[in-house]
Amino acid sequence: MSEEKTTKQILEEKLKARKRTPLYNPELLQNLAKDFETWKNSVVPEEDRKNWEVIPRTILGSEIPRGLLYTPLEVADLDYTEDLGFSGAEPYTRGLHANMYRGRVFTMRQLSGAGSPSYINQRIKWLLGAGATGINLALDLATVQMYDSDEPEAKGQVGTVGVPIDCVEDMDVIFKDIPLDKVSASIVTHYPRNTAILFPMYLVLAEQRGIPWDRLNGSVQNDFVMENLVRNAAEYIPPRDAFRVQCDNIEFLRKNVPRWNYITLNGYNLREAGTSGVTEMAVAMANGIEILKEMSRRGYDADWVAQRMAFFWAPANDFFEEVARLRAARRLWYRIMKYRFGAKNPRSMWERCHVQTSGISLQRVEPMNNVIRAAYHALAAILGGCQSLHVDSYDEAYSTPSEEASLLSLRTQQIIEAETAITQVVDPLGGSFYVEALTNEMERRILDEIDEIERMGGLVKAIESGWLHRRIANHIHREQRLIEQGVIKVVGRNYYQNPEAKEPEVKVHQYSEELRQEMCAKLERLRRERDNEQVNCALKALKEACQKGGNVMQYCLEAARAGATEGEMRRVFTDAFGTWRPPVYI
Amino acid sequence: MTEARRIKVLLAQFSLETHSRGIITVAGMLRDSGMEVVYIGNNTPEQIMEAAVHEDVDVVGISSYCGGELALGKDLIEEAKKRGVKDRMVFLMGGIFPPGDEPKLREIGFDGIFAPGATKEEIASFIEKAVATKGRS
Repeated sequence: MSEEKTTKQILEEKLKARKRTPLYNPELLQNLAKDFETWKNSVVPEEDRKNWEVIPRTILGSEIPRGLLYTPLEVADLDYTEDLGFSGAEPYTRGLHANMYRGRVFTMRQLSGAGSPSYINQRIKWLLGAGATGINLALDLATVQMYDSDEPEAKGQVGTVGVPIDCVEDMDVIFKDIPLDKVSASIVTHYPRNTAILFPMYLVLAEQRGIPWDRLNGSVQNDFVMENLVRNAAEYIPPRDAFRVQCDNIEFLRKNVPRWNYITLNGYNLREAGTSGVTEMAVAMANGIEILKEMSRRGYDADWVAQRMAFFWAPANDFFEEVARLRAARRLWYRIMKYRFGAKNPRSMWERCHVQTSGISLQRVEPMNNVIRAAYHALAAILGGCQSLHVDSYDEAYSTPSEEASLLSLRTQQIIEAETAITQVVDPLGGSFYVEALTNEMERRILDEIDEIERMGGLVKAIESGWLHRRIANHIHREQRLIEQGVIKVVGRNYYQNPEAKEPEVKVHQYSEELRQEMCAKLERLRRERDNEQVNCALKALKEACQKGGNVMQYCLEAARAGATEGEMRRVFTDAFGTWRPPVYI
Repeated sequence: MTEARRIKVLLAQFSLETHSRGIITVAGMLRDSGMEVVYIGNNTPEQIMEAAVHEDVDVVGISSYCGGELALGKDLIEEAKKRGVKDRMVFLMGGIFPPGDEPKLREIGFDGIFAPGATKEEIASFIEKAVATKGRS
């Protein structure tokens, strides 16, 4: 084992060396402490004095105890410059940009829904027409798992929860009449392999339309945590290889598609699978740290690499915790970049994030209540200073959102933006004793968990060992029991139930077998018309790159140009790396 | 009547399913209700039924969130019939699917259908009754 210091040790040393100037006068604080005790013992009811701290029990909450009232005493050592600063300035706690939403409102990026490539093209245009400002392309199950529409495993699942993409032609249909150099497109590719396979199809499409890659703008997910921890399937590659593919993609994109966010460190789906907001951020940041270490082994400067790293978070029910967490993540990532990696470019110190409101927090019973839940989640995200937002729809517990539900989600964002005036002042909750104390606590806990992961030998090992899989299973069981016992209150489900509640009329997405037939016919035609010799050569070269260490995305690009399909490329990866079954904990 | 044995449940998902929170939740509920749970993760209908027969279970439970519940559900029941266990095992489907699919799933041969929010009591008591009715010795 190397004697390398952990991120926490490095930050502690570097931060200790910095001079701190407390905002609050220590003498006044002493007097305040006395007054506080007097007040507490004379005015506060005995019951509340005894139970001064309560633990909030919420779905996906981190259960940090909360006092009855927060005063400067909880943030006695607050140093304004060191801990908060101004917006758009170090340590970025108050926001990445000086003018925040006055300068640019968060990108309204609703997921594109489910159906055929041509339907999704219509739906994207409709969303943009209704005021959405970014594209968020959701893939169907077969595409996420990298199967062609005509493989037997894809039966019944083509076009169900997103759009099917087998080849460049599908990409062309999805983005018909959409100017690739003018829109910001998030392509929800999930895994590194999926990114290596699908994103080159987007690049080939840009080539065909004569658009230089340096004018493309958007993001892919490209997160090995999705493949090896969050999702499950019968055919995954080992974590170490998935991590390598993730870094190959980063290397290729950073060099060739400079405005593209090459990774969306996905805390969201990990949280939704079953973890606290602390673990969500710790795992995503631990991945970010390992990426920068690996890229530096490959000879790249962390300050250059990190400029296009993006994060993805899930704000759930514990409102102030969510606001505090988003603030804490910005400060912590800044500190990691500055003190652990010596970054000098502000852009690489920015923790830029897309936020999607929590789906797990939504309920099937009385689904219209979900409109209210999602609006509070969105409010927390905006008060926390997110860059981009998707609001979940009320019908999530029934189906992929209908157009009507999707529009309501977009309207939720627009109402917050245009009618509540909360976007006019930057970081409006900054300086609240409560929010600042909670921000400190969240930052501390996230760093502690990053430390735990690093002491285990890093994130790849923490995943290989099943430690995180077990943690998720334990979280799920515990949370379920707390709901059963009524400790976690869920309105309509275990609290204020309505025995007369009827199953509502929810318009849902219907599966279409014809779509699968169309996709199969297209694949048949493609395989007939393309130069199969060229495809086989490209796939063979890809396999060699996997085994011998060339950048896999470069070879996937050649395969995509030759007309290779998603499933054909998946099989090459699995042949080259072998399969890995995640540890099963229930 | 032989001595009552613990009800044994096999839980699985179809090959491509990406969500596991639902099935892990149900596994915990059934274990808390005193049942024996075998979870085999993602598999084809054929592999699932092979495991069900091998493990000699009373109940087969499938979790589906991304479609495929009808097409692959049908394949699963066909496999069960082929192996002659359709009448002695109880078949359950849970997850997120359109309400309209519920009657179709029953028609295919699923005994119980559960949506998010189903309670431990609902699921466990359904299983106990269904296992008793299917007349396992």
